[in-house]
Amino acid sequence: MKFRTLIYLLSALFLISCEPEIEAFKPDAGEADFSVYVALGNSLTAGYANGELYKSGQMVSYANIMAKQMIHAGAGEFRQPLMKDELGFGNKVILGEVSDCLGNDILAPVPAGGTPDPANFTSIFSEEGPFHNIGVPGAQISHLLLPGYSLYNQYFGRFASNASTRVLDDALDLDPTFFSLWIGSNDVLGYAISGGESGVITPSEEFKQLYRLILNELTSKSDKGVLANIPEIISIPFFNTIPAHGLLLTRQGQVDSLNLLHVGNPYITFRLGYNGFVVADAASEYDAMRQLEEDELVLLTVPQDKIKCEGWGSEFPIPANFYLSQQQIIEVATAIEAYNMAINELAGEFNLALVDINSLLKESITGINYDGLNFNTQYVMGGVFSLDGIHLSPRGNAIVANHFIKAINSKYGSTIPKVSPTQFPGIIFP
Amino acid sequence: MKRIFICIFFLQFLVVNTAQSGGYQVSLHGHKNMGMGLIGTSLNFDASTVFLNPGAMATLSSKYSFMAGISGIRSTTKFQLEKPSIYQAATDNPRSTPFYLYATARIAENLSLGLAVNTPYGNSLKWEEGWAGRFLIQEISLQAITIQPTVAYRLSESISLGAGFVVATGKVDLKRKLPVQNESGEGEVNISGNTVNYGFNAGVFFVPIPDLNIGLSYRSLIKMKLDKAEAVFSVPESLSYLFPEANTVATSLPLPANLDLGISYRFSDKLMAGITLNYVFWSAYESLDFDFEINTTALNDVQSPREYSNTIIFRTGAEYRVLENLFFRAGAYFDPSPVNEIYFSPETPGLNNIGLSTGLSFVPMDNLSIDLGFLYVMGIEKDISFLPANFNGTYKSRAYISGFGVSYNF
Repeated sequence: MKFRTLIYLLSALFLISCEPEIEAFKPDAGEADFSVYVALGNSLTAGYANGELYKSGQMVSYANIMAKQMIHAGAGEFRQPLMKDELGFGNKVILGEVSDCLGNDILAPVPAGGTPDPANFTSIFSEEGPFHNIGVPGAQISHLLLPGYSLYNQYFGRFASNASTRVLDDALDLDPTFFSLWIGSNDVLGYAISGGESGVITPSEEFKQLYRLILNELTSKSDKGVLANIPEIISIPFFNTIPAHGLLLTRQGQVDSLNLLHVGNPYITFRLGYNGFVVADAASEYDAMRQLEEDELVLLTVPQDKIKCEGWGSEFPIPANFYLSQQQIIEVATAIEAYNMAINELAGEFNLALVDINSLLKESITGINYDGLNFNTQYVMGGVFSLDGIHLSPRGNAIVANHFIKAINSKYGSTIPKVSPTQFPGIIFP
Repeated sequence: MKRIFICIFFLQFLVVNTAQSGGYQVSLHGHKNMGMGLIGTSLNFDASTVFLNPGAMATLSSKYSFMAGISGIRSTTKFQLEKPSIYQAATDNPRSTPFYLYATARIAENLSLGLAVNTPYGNSLKWEEGWAGRFLIQEISLQAITIQPTVAYRLSESISLGAGFVVATGKVDLKRKLPVQNESGEGEVNISGNTVNYGFNAGVFFVPIPDLNIGLSYRSLIKMKLDKAEAVFSVPESLSYLFPEANTVATSLPLPANLDLGISYRFSDKLMAGITLNYVFWSAYESLDFDFEINTTALNDVQSPREYSNTIIFRTGAEYRVLENLFFRAGAYFDPSPVNEIYFSPETPGLNNIGLSTGLSFVPMDNLSIDLGFLYVMGIEKDISFLPANFNGTYKSRAYISGFGVSYNF
């Protein structure tokens, strides 16, 4: 009967699926073999953030993020030398509300407090090793090749396979089928974060030689891997947060008395508005003091209360370890440029993928839109860097991981899936 | 009259609509019409003519005609982040229930009055918690209820004209996550407000030869303007100075004009069929702007481009009289997306839609018709971008709508 047929027809409509399905993306390894991926590098690879290496930071290291995505393209386990807690060796900072010397409430990094688990300081290799994330905070390029480095660097000491090993040996021992190498920042940073007062910049020929040695040994295990270059310091909040011309004078009285104080020094003149900070400079011909040029860099570590309340930068000079002079900036920039040229050349020579982190961070200075979020290199609010102003935030790590993935995919025809930075936490505000 | 207003007031809190047509237009204005692919303008079955084509209202055979109905919409949109990615997310939309109430009365030989209360626009979208696009949109509910007093005049046997004045009450409520967080979670902004705006609806109904109906109708643009919508921010305590309390925001959303041209023909005692072209003036939706009363360094006014395009919806539908008191209907339409390829925001994921519909009417006694309608809408999968936020991916949607109405003529 027609009527019944209709009822059947109509009830069938109720059963049509309402759930739209988009076919799942099927990742592929392409020409690469990700089954044993080893990440070699420094604090950036380790997942160091907010001034310390700690568990949740390690979980969102770009290396770990990338390794998890590689699982979809056939990768195996990626073991990390995890700290036991959120405090690591105890240097972590968090964002806190504090009163400055003027009594204003300000947001600033403050010590996280608490007592680190003593187990953070003991060797974990025999119980938890070997490890695939061989990122050693503080490591310079020569340290990767230095036997017994674990005795000098406790971050390596706690997960080194033995006391006399080289960092590189622990990577080679895993027989990697794929490796990443991001090294070189500390070869200039030690110098740069001391305001050029201590540390030395690794000479660029030496850097290239050592880099080639490392690649010779790594590629003896696996001819496939990815290298990353070094960001210029101009894109790092540690160097670009406090403006060199940050001394604001609003009253003529202030201007006059400061000019009087420094009378006779041809390198110091104050006027209404923004002025260069007064800094110590042994090379200055008068009083070993001068004012900063606009393109010089004040370090994030300068004690701001001293500037606000104790006359630093105006009456008294800011000590030389808190700024980089034009000359020092050129030394650092020249070294980084040479390192990056070397990395670029060696990537070609060894036929490896190359991630241009330097360009990524330079683009980020003015802001990039990414998956519905805007990022820039501004301190705290920019979203890319953690509170130490040098190391990445979880979202910064996600973006960096995506750039590694993009470089690997385009070199090896693989399709490792990218992550969405929105799925990682931002900075925690009080 | 008082009772009707109470009724409207009550329904306003109940009704949540979902975009079924391109952007945020909902075309469920009668279940006979729904069964026939929403061809609308050339039909003169019942009191739904008040809305579908005021001209046709004057041609109704009965002196009084009443009609009421309600639909339930289940819809889901799925999102896949731009490849290579395995990230997918889906909406978890609340079930929405658009409704209609129509009444017509012939007060003189060729003169009819009518009233329509219905929900021609709406959007109700709720993305899953924590989804990748939450900083663009987490949840939006746009509801517009229109009240339309209408007059129609039959010029001659073959031509009738009608026009109505439209009072649109709108309610907007949207939530976006803010990329600032504390230990207990992410910040959020909730913008909500009510507004009343006006427009008109006019139509011509032409019967050149017996059994052939031609309808031409036009519904005007209505600009839903919210001058002082509430903007409530929940952010970490230490940032509250950047997001002042008691802030308001001005915003507006155009409800686009529609020009419908339809033709239907009664082939026999049992069969009638029609086609309609439905031109929607979506280009009125140029941008979605938020102008905050109080701006701070972290809270700027927003001008987000939308750049919609006008679209032509092609509709066809037919009715077949199965038994003396039982009618079967079927229809289909293709509704191209008005959304700009590079400004495709997940708050209104309007895809190219194919609608398939069917329906039944049961006439248990003279003058009374019980109408059932079913509509299945397939939003065709598309890779698309929202460039201002670099939010790119693939969208696909499905909606399943069923409903019933009752019409009574005497």
